[in-house]
Amino acid sequence: MVIKGKLREYLNNCYQCAMCSGICQMGRIQKYTPSRIIQLIIEGFEDRIVESGMLWDCLTCNSCLEKCPHEVNFAEIVRDARNKMLDAGIMPKIAHKGFYTLLSEIMSKENITPEKTFEWVPSGCKISEEGNILYFVGCAPLFNYEFDESMNNAVDTLKILCKIENEPIVLLKDEKCCGHDLLWQGKIEAFKKLAIHNIKAFERSGASLIVTSCAEGYRTLKIDYPSMFENFNVEVKHLVEYLYEKLKENKIKFKKEKKNTKILKLTYHDPCRLSRFLPKSFNIYEKIRYIFKELEKVGYVYNEMVHNKSNSLCCGVSCWLNCTDKAKALRYHRMLEAKDVADNLITTCPKCEIHFRCLQNDTETVQDINVIDLSNLLENVIEVIPSKQNK
Amino acid sequence: MKIVEKSSKKQDMEFKPNIVCFCCNWCSYAGADLAGVSRFQYPASIRIIRVMCSGRVEPAFILKSFKDNIDGVLVTGCHIGDCHYISGNEFTKDRFERLTIILKFLGLEDRFRLEWISASEGKKFAELITTFTNQIKKLGPLNNI
Repeated sequence: MVIKGKLREYLNNCYQCAMCSGICQMGRIQKYTPSRIIQLIIEGFEDRIVESGMLWDCLTCNSCLEKCPHEVNFAEIVRDARNKMLDAGIMPKIAHKGFYTLLSEIMSKENITPEKTFEWVPSGCKISEEGNILYFVGCAPLFNYEFDESMNNAVDTLKILCKIENEPIVLLKDEKCCGHDLLWQGKIEAFKKLAIHNIKAFERSGASLIVTSCAEGYRTLKIDYPSMFENFNVEVKHLVEYLYEKLKENKIKFKKEKKNTKILKLTYHDPCRLSRFLPKSFNIYEKIRYIFKELEKVGYVYNEMVHNKSNSLCCGVSCWLNCTDKAKALRYHRMLEAKDVADNLITTCPKCEIHFRCLQNDTETVQDINVIDLSNLLENVIEVIPSKQNK
Repeated sequence: MKIVEKSSKKQDMEFKPNIVCFCCNWCSYAGADLAGVSRFQYPASIRIIRVMCSGRVEPAFILKSFKDNIDGVLVTGCHIGDCHYISGNEFTKDRFERLTIILKFLGLEDRFRLEWISASEGKKFAELITTFTNQIKKLGPLNNI
């Protein structure tokens, strides 16, 4: 393994302050020291690092980059090394026996064209194949195989979009997986094939704006696609950004729910892909807090967890790797924090949601907290302000 | 799990599908054995993998086979009610009904079949392999549809 280019620069920048080892979320439950790993690579023991397979344990949560004074991007070094680990035959333990990764890999074959069914589309929502605004559904319909509630997120997002927009929303029939999991598992070639297919599909639809409700999908479409393919320059927005802009433009407002007399206490879990994995200028964690501020006006209570924004704790699993008891311990910490301040845990990442719900099945102490996606929360509350009033 | 290495064939040769067949130890494997002992003819397109129960077959195994360009996958087990482990095959049935939705989405549902074969049904086993092989032959190889 020879590390070159940008990654080598990262390595040379490291001055072994070990801030990363201190903050490392994996370090909370097992011995894991990024600074030592970097030191070993600098000293020339790259092969030994690859052979040991220890880089499969990294959560790729980017907490280390957040604290690093020299911006050494450890997650990218891990991603690069994982590719080499696969070549060397050192395999990871993928959750669900690798089912979802295999699905993505089958999809990455050029001769397989998936056909999505739109049975789940709620009545009253207009959809089309060509148009301006595209909703990238992602893997939610596939998760339906095991997780019954995974579709709610997509249904409610589509309802919100249909409510706000007058024109029909584009849903792609032959949309493939965005490839996030393959990319972070080091299967870069398969990822590129998926990306090429998706970019072609986006072009065919003629969309000028892609909205997604998934944190991982957002990061992949927004940052990884343009960095690998220069011809991809469609605007991508997460539901949070989209709603934030609509709120600022005075196009929507939140209404009071009459049925609920009980005050709902909310708290928000920042997914890593929507906070630490984006450049600081994106500022999504402030945008979502603006949404919560607006919600407070209509009778919700919003409390912040101890670890929040870019310091937020990890849900323990990213790209379906290492869903072990250790990951559960991490998740348990997070849920206890949430339980202290609220009874509704809001998140914007479908996978965080799945993993939190999964923990609730085994652990009684965290069962009374309600894990919901942002779209589920807002679907009933959003009210469109008619454009006449604006004039 | 490396299942079968595909032998390199020239294009003008007739397409011989590669089919993976999961047989449960107690019924289907004995059924396949009986088909052999009674000398029923069936195409040599299948590779049998013996498992203790059809409930052992993970959906991921099926996907893994398709990923490695296997043209068709068969899962066979005891008839409902006959399972050696009481309810293993009921579990299998439920599991693969869910998987079929996903295979439909990928356009692969014709390449997968779940069948029940008991130890005495050697004839049925041979027939199943013949019909399934013909079905796959019509569909063509997986890697260049």
